[in-house]
Amino acid sequence: MTSLFEIDSLSHRYGSVLALDGVSLSVEHGAIGLVGQNGAGKSTLIKILLGLVRHTDGTVRVFGSDVAKHGVGLRGRIGYMPEREGVTPGLNGIEYVGLSGELNGLPRKLALRRAHELLSRLGLEEARYRRLENYSAGMVQRLKLAATLVHDPDLLLLDEPTSGLDPDGRTAMLALLKSLAQRPGKSLLFSTHLLGDIEHVCRHAIIMEKGKVAASGSLDEMLAGQELAFSLRWKNGNESTNDAYLAALQQAGAEVSPGEELGQARAVVSSDWSNQQFFHLAKQTEVTLTGLEPEEVDLRTVYLRLVGMEAALPPLIGLAKRAESEVGA
Amino acid sequence: MSVPGSEDETIIRRAAWLAAWPIARTAMHLVFRRKLFWVLFALALLSFIFMFGAIYLLATLRQKYPQVEQFITSMLKDLDGSGTTFLNFMVAQSTVTIILLAFAGSVLAGNDHSRGGLIFYLSRRINVVHYATGKLLAIGLLICMTTTLPALILFIEYGLLGDTGKYFWEKYPIFFGILGYGALLSVAVGLLLFALVSWMPKPVPLVMLWGGLFVFLPILSQILTVAMREPGMSRREAMDESPWRLLDFWNDLYIVGNKFFGVEKPLFNGAAVVVCSVCILSAIAIFVRLRQLQHQS
Repeated sequence: MTSLFEIDSLSHRYGSVLALDGVSLSVEHGAIGLVGQNGAGKSTLIKILLGLVRHTDGTVRVFGSDVAKHGVGLRGRIGYMPEREGVTPGLNGIEYVGLSGELNGLPRKLALRRAHELLSRLGLEEARYRRLENYSAGMVQRLKLAATLVHDPDLLLLDEPTSGLDPDGRTAMLALLKSLAQRPGKSLLFSTHLLGDIEHVCRHAIIMEKGKVAASGSLDEMLAGQELAFSLRWKNGNESTNDAYLAALQQAGAEVSPGEELGQARAVVSSDWSNQQFFHLAKQTEVTLTGLEPEEVDLRTVYLRLVGMEAALPPLIGLAKRAESEVGA
Repeated sequence: MSVPGSEDETIIRRAAWLAAWPIARTAMHLVFRRKLFWVLFALALLSFIFMFGAIYLLATLRQKYPQVEQFITSMLKDLDGSGTTFLNFMVAQSTVTIILLAFAGSVLAGNDHSRGGLIFYLSRRINVVHYATGKLLAIGLLICMTTTLPALILFIEYGLLGDTGKYFWEKYPIFFGILGYGALLSVAVGLLLFALVSWMPKPVPLVMLWGGLFVFLPILSQILTVAMREPGMSRREAMDESPWRLLDFWNDLYIVGNKFFGVEKPLFNGAAVVVCSVCILSAIAIFVRLRQLQHQS
């Protein structure tokens, strides 16, 4: 089975602005989150995958075909949900979704039949004959999703699908996307800057920063590969025992940063570190360990470590950035 | 969630070129939903109804009072059933057609360009050429609805109310003349309108520019023609032969259109150059703009 998409040394410029800078990726089928700040190059990457934007340099293959040569044919296998509205005022829901199907090569009758079915499943049955300008933001997002799904694409490209939704609408959309991501044989690339959304829907992630891939891989691997951090508190702390305990921790391989008060510190340790060592060293240096709290490592932590926003996190965190990696299915 | 079609169906996808029709049909639906369109279309039908009635009246007179019919036909050359009858009818439809297109332009394509709808089309299994073909087809069909189609109906009426077999046998080139002139109007005016809409999607500036092209320039052309004519040249001769008349684009189309009915008018070459230039420049403007919007969207 070919990769979902393979990108080699991809660069793209908008005039003098370098939007993508030497991106190389090989991504297998599945649900993939594409995360990055505004201007990181997510939307440009999606448009290049879709064949809408002709890239400046490099090669991009989707389902094994070169997008520069087979863009139109590939779009028949891809469903794209744009971030911006992209709806045509004056049409009603059925016409809009049906038109999407026809533009993807479906016969009119079949396109309309699927439009009816999809709008019913997405909770827009009552509104399907209503003009699009009368739809709420949440309804527009669901409508756009229906238009994306009508031709049963093998790959869904979703650009900020939860953008502009209220909390309930966002929860419902995420549940919907999660169920779509679980369909066998189908893939989903979900672009967002909301890291929680990625964790909810996807099992793999690509983190982009300033036009480059900062990291990519399965979420489990990303989280497992992170160094562990602990907050420590101890009693019997005076100047000498305090320094002795910190020195012992450093000698054992932990990166330690003292807290503002005596008897507090933050320690970053490697994955082979045993928690018993904290107690053992405490006993050796005659302090009583009273608190040991592991810091939670989530995608946000990984992201912030990778994109170099250390100021937002506690100090003493460093992680080598990966220029190229594989996303496993 | 399961998606319809994912379980059972094997679909043979239609060719991407066939997507031009859904695009055109949708654009026309949007225009048909405007009341203003029907008001203007009714106005366009007024002259058609007048011509239809006149042809019927002449046919009745021909049977009952042949001398009266001959007298009227000699007075009204426009109703003699020749190519000029139908060409002049189509030219007379210009005013209302131009007004109709001015208001329909934004609905046909402007919304796609000003409200991000273009990405909806271009992210499907089509490219900009298919998209532009669909939109041009919609504009062309609107033009045909007010010019070509009524002219064909009048031609058929004229034949059916007279000596049917003889008329159609002798005058069949008129049928192709009407189709040819209709196609010329659809392509040339369609390209020009789509180019203007692409760069100027908002209705008010579009109507102003469109009005400038089809109202101000013809007036300017007539003023310059009369003012710059050579001494001794009649006003009528000047109107036929002055190169200033080339500023009137609808007149250029009329001059070129005469060729479809076997008539070569003065200024034919100049008019042909203007029409071809407008078409080529419009096509370039359309594709430059669509590419630009594709990258921006």
